[in-house]
Formats: sequence, C-alpha cells, structure tokens
Amino acid sequence: MPNQKNYFQLIYRVVIGLIAVWFLSIIWPYISDVILMLVFAFLFTTVLLSSVDALERKIGSRGLSVLTVIIILLGGIGTFIGSFISQMSQQAMEFSSRIDKDTLTQEFKTLGEKFTSAMPGFMQNMQPSDGDMAGKLSELINTVVGSLASMAGAIGNFMFIAAMVFIFTIILLAEYHGFRKSLVNTIPNKYFEVGLKLIYNIEKSVSSYLRGQFLSAASVAAMSVAGLLLLNLFGANLTLTFFIGIIAGLANLIPLIGPFVGMIPAILIAFMNNIGNEAAMAHTLFGAIPSPFFILDIILMFLIVQQIEGNLITPALVGKSVGLHPMIVMIALLIGGTILGPLGMLFAVPATGVLKVILKEIAFVRQNAHLL
Amino acid sequence: MKSAKWENIFKGWNRSESATVLTLKQVPIFKYFSQKEFGELEKMMHHRTYSPGEFVFKNRAPSEGMYIIMHGAIKITIGTRADNENILAELGEGDFFGELALFDDEPRSANAIATQDSELLGFFKPDIMTLQERNPMLGQKILFNLGGILGDRLRGTNNLLIKAQSEKPE
Repeated sequence: MPNQKNYFQLIYRVVIGLIAVWFLSIIWPYISDVILMLVFAFLFTTVLLSSVDALERKIGSRGLSVLTVIIILLGGIGTFIGSFISQMSQQAMEFSSRIDKDTLTQEFKTLGEKFTSAMPGFMQNMQPSDGDMAGKLSELINTVVGSLASMAGAIGNFMFIAAMVFIFTIILLAEYHGFRKSLVNTIPNKYFEVGLKLIYNIEKSVSSYLRGQFLSAASVAAMSVAGLLLLNLFGANLTLTFFIGIIAGLANLIPLIGPFVGMIPAILIAFMNNIGNEAAMAHTLFGAIPSPFFILDIILMFLIVQQIEGNLITPALVGKSVGLHPMIVMIALLIGGTILGPLGMLFAVPATGVLKVILKEIAFVRQNAHLL
Repeated sequence: MKSAKWENIFKGWNRSESATVLTLKQVPIFKYFSQKEFGELEKMMHHRTYSPGEFVFKNRAPSEGMYIIMHGAIKITIGTRADNENILAELGEGDFFGELALFDDEPRSANAIATQDSELLGFFKPDIMTLQERNPMLGQKILFNLGGILGDRLRGTNNLLIKAQSEKPE
C-alpha cells in the first residue's frame, strides 16, 4: 500500500507541475515585462543598497538617504549621457563637414583594395569578380541608417521600462529591509532557519557577483582609456577616449560578446578621425602587418586589456564570486541569449548562481529533512 | 489647562515601549543599549509563534541563530520519546537560547520544544551579518556582550569542574 500511495503522490505532483507550467505559459506574455522590470529593479537595489544603508547610518533618515543616492546616480548618468551626446554630435559635424560622399566612397574603395592586396593569392581569387566593395559598404551604411528610424519606437518603449524600473528601485531601496522581513515571516516554522539562510545566500551571491562585475568593468574602462591614450602617442588620433573606455567597461558586463562590442566605438572613431589621412591609411602594426586607421592596433589593445582583466584582475577582485564552472557559464549564456537576447546574457550568470544556491539548499533540506 | 499645541509637539515623548523592546531589555546581551539602538534592533527581530509540543529546533539540526522568549515557555531536552527525554532546562519569558549558533556552524546540541503557546523573537546569523554592514558599532556591541556571557558560562563550567575534581575520592 505505501508504494501505491507514493505512486499516486508522484502522479499528483507531476499533474500539478504540468498545470503550473501551462498556466505560466498562458500568463507569461502579460507578466514578462513586469517581471523583467522587477529583476532589474532588484539588481539595481542590490548594487545601491550598501550606499543607502551607509548614508542612513550617517544622517539617520532612510527616505533622505534614498533620495540623495538617486540624485547622485541620476546626476552622474545625466552628465555622462549629456556630454557624450554633445561631444559625439560635435564629432559627427566635424566629420560631415570634412568628408563628402564621394570622398567616403573613394576611401572605402582604397581600403578594399588595400585589404585585397594584403590577402594571400588564393584568397584574392575568392573575391567577387566585380570587386565593388565600396558600393557594398555604402549599401550597408544605408541599411543601418534605415534601421535607425525603426529604433525610435523601441527607444520610447525603453524609456517607459526605464522609468518603471527607476520607480521600483526607489520603492525597493526605501522598503528593502521591511520587504525582506515580510518575506521571511511567510516561511513556516519548520523551514524557517533554512529559508532565512537561503535568502541570505542568494543576496550574498548576487551582490558579490555584481560588485565583482562592476569592479572589473571599472578596471576595463581605466585600462581601455590608458591603452587608447597610448595609441594616440603613436598617432592614432583617437578622441572621446574617456567615453569609449566607459562604454567598453559597461559592455564588459555582458560576458563573452561584451568585450568585442566594446571595440566597435573605438574603431568607428578611429575611422572617422583618420579618413583622408594617408599616414593613418598606410599604418602598419609592428611595421609588418597593414593596419589602416590603426584598426588592428585597437583590436590588439582591447584583446590585451581583456586578457589582463580576465586572467589577473577578475580572479583577484572577484575570485569565485558565483563559483560556476566555465562550461556551465557558457551554457547559461547560450540559454539566456536564446530566451532574452543580450539582456538574457547579462542575467544568465547571476541567475545561474542563484539557481545553484537554491539547488544546494534543496539538496541540504532533503538530506536533513528528518532534522527539521 | 493643557495647551493642544505643546501637547502635539511633545507627542510620543513618553510613548510606552513596545512589548518587543521590553523583552529585549530583559536580555543581558542587549544591556547598556540606547533607546535608538533598541529601535534598530526591534526592526531586525523575527516574531515566531509556536504551539505546545511544536519543535523550535531539533537536536543535530543545522543552526542559524538564537531565540528570546517573549511569551510562553520552552523546554530544552535531549531525546524526544517519553522514555528517554532528559530535560536540560525549562525557560520562560525573557530567557534566551541557541546563542552559540551565532558564532559557529555546528548543528544544534539539544531539542527546543514549546510547552505552551509561545511567542519567540528570533535573531539569526544573517541578521548579525547584515547588522555588521549596516551598523558595525551595534553589531560589535552585541558580539562583545555575547562574548561576555559565554565567558561567564565558561567560568561557571570551570568552577563546576574544579568542584567536581576536588570532591572526587583519592
């Protein structure tokens, strides 16, 4: 009889599980945005919580502490974006006044020829017979400009989500300890201590991961700025180095693809600043490998920065903050990227870390069930 | 005649203390705490209620923190069956137990069972960790007081040991 009872219990659990999955799949499209906003708000809260707590200790008012931290944060972000846009538009105006369409097409053509001549003989034969690389590049630029227009709608949506995340973050920061206590109070007596430990471990795992990520992002930003200034000494003529460094640091938060995304602004600026400059066109890396517009130098510099960050700084700063095997990290990134795109990749590692903590505690509870 | 304006300004000055703060004031771990510190501590305490016969924790269970009895009574035992239950202590309002768990990761060394409807205040390792980050001075004060209590108990145990050895026949 006990075996039959277990069998029925198992069927009951499977059916309940399937109903839950089915129900979630129906409501998911309606709640996914809100959940995403809450996850973002939770992550921002985790990052800002220690500053708010420290300020609260000094001034004695939670509300005022939250307000001060938010004002400082918004001021910083506003200053960064404002000065970036103004400098970028200035750069674009300079670029457009200096270069007309024909010159640009000519430059692309010369660049294409240079690349073709630098390739080994058998690869040169693989080029299309018309060899109209410049035309193709111009077409590509037109497509990019066209898709920029469709981005306007997406920006509106993004602004709404950002505003909601901002509001949720303020509420969470102001009431975090109260919310946490209310959540803890719902745990039954039997699982109380284990539940409390689980919540604490999840918080610790997420905050140590985020802290580590921000420290490594800051180090990437600083090293990138230093590297770009170094390239300028060799005549790379790069501007906006500070902004490029910060963008590279922020892009570094997305594992695996982030470091490559970080290179793009630097390459674009190098191209914009050096177009029409014969010396930059003829530049060679180590005096042997053609590197027009210092593109290969920039890529090499970012690769060196990535290596230093990945092999020296992150292990020293972050250690094993989440304690996941690299293989698991890659699988998590692939799954996260497939489900939610770049956002999914951003959340994949901390979410897997949280899952690991939960599974570890579940295993612990199962093992010690008779003691609870 | 009382002025309504002044009454309003001083409203809350002689506000009666909450039951939680009154209980905390009886616990030696929190001696010499200011009113503000009691307020901070009150926010961190977890209120738990237990029915008669319900386990607060079991012997050898993983341990996370200490409990303070607000109302009711708790017995500390080894063995749970009627034939092998050995009651080590019976605790009442204002008493506390399980404080060793704040210092180490060792499992519980006895059972704690409610003998009547009881309301306990829980204070746990994650709370003390959070307190160390939010208010290190207060966290340090608690740990210092806890150290003092453990020291007193060790001294008491030493005295008992000395007494037992001196009474041992040669």
